[in-house]
Amino acid sequence: MLDDQQGPLRTPDRALVERMAGGDERALGDLYDRHGEMAYSLALAVARERADAEEIVADAFGQAWRNAASYDPGRGSVAGWLATITRTRALDLVRARGRRARAMERAAQTDGDGLASTMGAAADSPDRRIERGEARRLVARSLGELPDPQRRVIELAYFGGLSQSEIAAELREPLGTVKTRMRAGMQKLRGSLAALLPGGGP
Amino acid sequence: MTDHQWSELAAPYALGALAPDERERFEAHLAECAACRGEVHSLREVAVLLADAAPAATLPSGLRDRILREARQIRPLRSGRAPVIPWLAAAASLVLAVGLGYVYVRERGTLQRVNAALAERDSLIATVFSPDVVTAALTATGKPPSARLYWNPSRHRIVMAVFQLPPASTGRTYQLWAIAQGKPVSLGVFNTAADGRLTAAMAVPPDLTFELAAVTEEPAGGSPAPTQQPFLIGKVTPAD
Repeated sequence: MLDDQQGPLRTPDRALVERMAGGDERALGDLYDRHGEMAYSLALAVARERADAEEIVADAFGQAWRNAASYDPGRGSVAGWLATITRTRALDLVRARGRRARAMERAAQTDGDGLASTMGAAADSPDRRIERGEARRLVARSLGELPDPQRRVIELAYFGGLSQSEIAAELREPLGTVKTRMRAGMQKLRGSLAALLPGGGP
Repeated sequence: MTDHQWSELAAPYALGALAPDERERFEAHLAECAACRGEVHSLREVAVLLADAAPAATLPSGLRDRILREARQIRPLRSGRAPVIPWLAAAASLVLAVGLGYVYVRERGTLQRVNAALAERDSLIATVFSPDVVTAALTATGKPPSARLYWNPSRHRIVMAVFQLPPASTGRTYQLWAIAQGKPVSLGVFNTAADGRLTAAMAVPPDLTFELAAVTEEPAGGSPAPTQQPFLIGKVTPAD
């Protein structure tokens, strides 16, 4: 995920989080300006309701603010940390509302027309931020290039919060098939996204 | 399980798609298998990038202000892992305080009071040591006074422990508020003992859920709505 690759003059995300731990609200504002859209888009993809997505993001940034001191750079980027907090909050809320089943159905119905292709239209919206757009396009394209069965099991796990057995039941496929697809899909993504992964830069 | 079968679990683990029992077994394996740890680490980086595959959505106006406004009311924790220890320490001191109350009452010699005190203690302990209890640390600016709340949603009760708060002056009282969606709801009035401490239980309306709790000083008897800024405030979090 795009993190500290915005040029030498930009304050690294890590430094913002350190300032947050010291109680600096402006650092929190800066972090929101950088990653708020990613968090909101992710929350909306999981929860599928704008009002819920807003709650989730407010909660997630609140949690990041309170727990800034516990961020460990050794465990991944700041953006990844925020994405993990946001996704966890979003899945908690969806589960609490018992709405997972429906979200799941819709995700499963979008045969060959899942998140990756919705992304194509969204990437052309005028208000996107250029630098994010680059990474997003690559991720969306890589996901879109996976064979549909592999893409679907990954989307159901990541955005739907389903376990492998739940995915197998949902798709009426043997568990072994789901396992194989998930593994193959993730390994392909690792190859096609190498440029965005730590140590895999151009 | 063969090595091959273990390595199959790295991708679903990185995506959070293992059932709880499977996840526990795999985590035990990870503790002793560097190859699987490496695979998990690298696939986790891939999983994190999937957030970028979410269709880009335009941020709601006002969300930034809201986040900053809420942050202003809460001080970041010194360490994200710290709450566990103060929680246990506060719970232990609470049990001790209630225990002392029991001894004190027994010396007064009335069986009825002993039984009442025991029932009260059992109830306090049950409220505090429940798996679903949520807790809030109420602080000023890191200095005394402070308070800790234990909210047991299934029993609709809050136990509050207050520290280093001088008793309210004559004609005044302290009032505890639950802030539900920005709106304060009174949970009750209280006062501390001469030593600045108090342990008290209060009822919570069954349908009320709230994110913040706050304490203000009010005219005796309390107010329908806060008449001043809270001097103690804190966010409610699961105790884990």
